[in-house]
Amino acid sequence: MILRLEITIMSGVDDGLHFNHSTENGDGQLDDQRWTISIGRREDSDICLRHDVFVSRQHALIYWDGYRWWLQDCNSTNGTFTEIRGADERVSGTIPINPGELFRVGRTWMRIEPTE
Amino acid sequence: MPAITLRDILINARQETVQMRHFYIGVEHLFIALLQIQGGLASSILQGQGLTPDYVIEAIRRKAGRGSPQRLWVGIPDTPRAVLVLDIAKEFALEAGRDEAGERDLLRAILEENDNLATRTLRTLGADIAALTEAARVYTPTTEAQPPDLAVSFGAAFDRSEAIEREHLFILRRMFASYPKIRIERRLTGFRKALILVVTPIQADEREAASVVAKIDLADNILDEVQRYEQHVKSALPLQAARLEDPPTAPEVSELAGIKYTLVANSGITPQDLRNRVRDQGLDGLGRLLKQELYARFSKNWWHQNRLFRFQVWMEYDWLLPPILILDAADESESSRNACVLHIPFNRARVKTRLKELEFGDTVILENFVVQRADHHTNVLKLAIGYGDEADKRAYKVDVRGLNLTKGHFYRGEVIERLVGRVWKTRHDILVESALSLQPDFDLRGRWIPSGKSRVLNPLNTYDDLLDRHINGSQSKIHGDLHLGNVLIGPNGSMWLIDFGHTRDGHTLFDWASFEVSILGDAVMPSLDESWDTARLILQYIVALNTRTPISSSDSRIRVAMETIEAIRDIVQECLTDETRWDEYYTALALCALRAITWDTMSLGGRRLMFLLAGLMALEVNYAALVPETLTPSPDEDGPISPGTSTPKTDVIDDLTPDHQSRPDILKRRGIDSWPDDKH
Repeated sequence: MILRLEITIMSGVDDGLHFNHSTENGDGQLDDQRWTISIGRREDSDICLRHDVFVSRQHALIYWDGYRWWLQDCNSTNGTFTEIRGADERVSGTIPINPGELFRVGRTWMRIEPTE
Repeated sequence: MPAITLRDILINARQETVQMRHFYIGVEHLFIALLQIQGGLASSILQGQGLTPDYVIEAIRRKAGRGSPQRLWVGIPDTPRAVLVLDIAKEFALEAGRDEAGERDLLRAILEENDNLATRTLRTLGADIAALTEAARVYTPTTEAQPPDLAVSFGAAFDRSEAIEREHLFILRRMFASYPKIRIERRLTGFRKALILVVTPIQADEREAASVVAKIDLADNILDEVQRYEQHVKSALPLQAARLEDPPTAPEVSELAGIKYTLVANSGITPQDLRNRVRDQGLDGLGRLLKQELYARFSKNWWHQNRLFRFQVWMEYDWLLPPILILDAADESESSRNACVLHIPFNRARVKTRLKELEFGDTVILENFVVQRADHHTNVLKLAIGYGDEADKRAYKVDVRGLNLTKGHFYRGEVIERLVGRVWKTRHDILVESALSLQPDFDLRGRWIPSGKSRVLNPLNTYDDLLDRHINGSQSKIHGDLHLGNVLIGPNGSMWLIDFGHTRDGHTLFDWASFEVSILGDAVMPSLDESWDTARLILQYIVALNTRTPISSSDSRIRVAMETIEAIRDIVQECLTDETRWDEYYTALALCALRAITWDTMSLGGRRLMFLLAGLMALEVNYAALVPETLTPSPDEDGPISPGTSTPKTDVIDDLTPDHQSRPDILKRRGIDSWPDDKH
């Protein structure tokens, strides 16, 4: 099965930028049932946010476990957040994340695009 | 008016991005640039939805946050989304046969794209994007600068001694623009810029519409109130309640705005607020009405939600008290090695000690405090530890004087990384000043305040310890500003709550503690006299009430007053988390009473009673803390007051004992057979 992930940046200097990843192109890391996409300031991150100084080198992970998407904060300095009733809520550990929901890594908001 | 070109808008956007240290042009900067055009298309169509440009700009800035001083790229690039939006705008222009996009094209493009920070923020503010998109397409400015002529008359109950200011009348005319005539029945409250009136609109055929309550205040306050109403109140109102049905009236040319509360289930009666009712008719029968009308009707959705809520008292009550510091802004060069640094997040205990050591002229460095408001009239920047509706975010207020508060320099919700100032006043200074203005006939420096033959704790020395306590309480939807002026009553006794500017989820008992303060300070004391002796007399009756001792007084005013307070206490009894732990309420009451001594709107007598009441309640809380101590085998164990703050037993035992109240009664009430021998 081919897995795809499209992420759109929703704020900051890269607002509107799309990242398209797919297992077909060998993106991310695939082992067993899990496909992982890394987010951070490190150049070899799958989603590299080099313009946000509030992003840690390895900041967060998004992975597919065969059923759904999960968002994991990698003990980042400035945190990963979701939006709950208009207020930002810090993610501790791993939380489920749905396409269309906004989350923030450092100062950068982003979202998983729904796929057909 | 000359057409506004894209160039002009981009210049504004550039200024905005530099000021916010973003250094890129995003859709949010383009939108803010559009909003900054005086009388522009964007602000005109937002007005139709009751939003002002400044309010929206601040909300967008809050969402985006100020950037960091380091910049990781050169120049000021457009974001991919801004490029997209500018392209859409260009298409709109081409369709209309123009070479260059203008104000309307850009606004339409931003709303059409509808996935950007600007439209996301608008949605959280309750704006209808589809309606805005349509309005942006078709809106044509009219030359209706002058609102239609509206005849204003005054009802018999209106107090003419104080005229309504022109600024307020201007808003009022806009609010009732669809009627030819209005009659202002009465003024409910008038405090600073806020004005609350009962208004009857009159139609062209002289038919009178149902009276409404019109509230006019600073636009930010009014729009915040609408947000809170939508979020907290709307879904939790009983059938008979004051409702906001129309969007607010917020003209761009005024710093004020207005809203109308419609009194549903009000058929042709003109309500008055309890403050007026009590002044005219006294407190007679009020206690019963409060229980049957107000509490019975609202408690299901409000005070009876009873979610368990364990909190440290400062989190719910610190914001009530004066700012912890008033600072004079100072230059960065004045920050020295031994300056006191207050860094958020912080450790309460450590900060408490540091604050105690501060004196006039000391240098303080604030880090990560959040802007609550920039008051242009007094030139004071108001800060606290967070931003939002919750009480704990408004705790640790600091006022900073002498900064450049030119419009746009600071926005509400902005996190200020660092600010240097010199101490002008501490919270303690402010409270002592307020206490001195009561012209005490006793020494303010002692641990005790004499009250007749007995004494109460000095509230000026105890509030910090109260703020340290942990409470196992309950949380519910609360009004947040419950006082006699915010409860309306009709001739048949039916009651409405108005003014939801502070409604939130908070400590359930806060509402009732504030209401008791209001009854004692605004109604009971003014009906008697202002002397300390009268305040002490009333205090003795409150002691009796605390111990549920039957009250007898030959003065009917006092009897009725105490009946009313007793009704409040009956309500409190139902709301207590543990029905035997009254210290949950007494803590709230102590802090609400202490807060009231700083109010210049409360009578002198009222504030004197509040000072003593705060001391009495602090004492009551100390008693409660002693109970577990006497019940446990180890007398050295600490009670609920946290370590280091418990009072030596000798102090507490030597307390206020009113003439009619003997100690064994107090002990019995607490389930103790005899007072432990004083071993000290």
